[in-house]
Amino acid sequence: MTQAERLYYRDDPGEVLLRPLEGLTLIYHRPSGMTHIVDSPVPEILAVLSPEPRPARLLLEILAAGYDLEGEGEALDTLVGYLEELCALGLARAR
Amino acid sequence: MKILRWNVIEYFSGGAFVTGRIVPGAGVDERKDQDQGAGRDGDGEARSAQAAGNARRKLLLGGGLAAASAVVSIRPALANTAASVLNCQIPVPDPAKGMGQMIAPDGKLVPKGTKGAFPPSNRPFTGEEVKAALRSGRSLPGTSYDQNRAYLNYIRRLQNGTSGFTCYASLQMPR
Repeated sequence: MTQAERLYYRDDPGEVLLRPLEGLTLIYHRPSGMTHIVDSPVPEILAVLSPEPRPARLLLEILAAGYDLEGEGEALDTLVGYLEELCALGLARAR
Repeated sequence: MKILRWNVIEYFSGGAFVTGRIVPGAGVDERKDQDQGAGRDGDGEARSAQAAGNARRKLLLGGGLAAASAVVSIRPALANTAASVLNCQIPVPDPAKGMGQMIAPDGKLVPKGTKGAFPPSNRPFTGEEVKAALRSGRSLPGTSYDQNRAYLNYIRRLQNGTSGFTCYASLQMPR
């Protein structure tokens, strides 16, 4: 299975606390006790993840419905890159 | 909010480990608008709806900055000063990876019904509880002697990417 075919989701969204700070966003992840300082587009990507596993392509469509996406040709690959990074941090999950 | 702010200050003053790179301003338009959305806890759908209702904002996905990481992570460095370490949680097992499984005496996840294995804990343990169990031999709350040993073996086997790993790793750090 390639990364583009993986289904991404997250556990209870209540386990993270999001707070804007000086143009960036702080994410406090309760289970790990870690704080992540993130920049766009990470909060936007996190916001479209839900407990329902969905492929990156669908998540991209949801993002495209809310935002004007720039860099479209590479958008899916970039999105998958971010999703994998979020998984590595424990903020998202994939299967 | 108050607690969060305190934690962050504590991390910075406590010799935090900071990883990752950040690219301030990468792909950001109308930052103020975005902040309002980001302030909501995990309310993705409401946020998407809000985004659709307002003037459309730009989101940079791809382009020259695509490969740059937009995340800086701060993990608690000092177990004795970071309140979050004591309050952080270690589920036994990780609900995403151990769904429907049991914990063998050696800490491995085994299929439900395996002889000698223990059922999952009905609540996650806190860093404080695990620390006490590892250091002073006190049992994890609500566990029998053998169950406690199995659970601690599971916790010792935690790997990066598994829920509870960072909490456990933080407990291992020297003062």
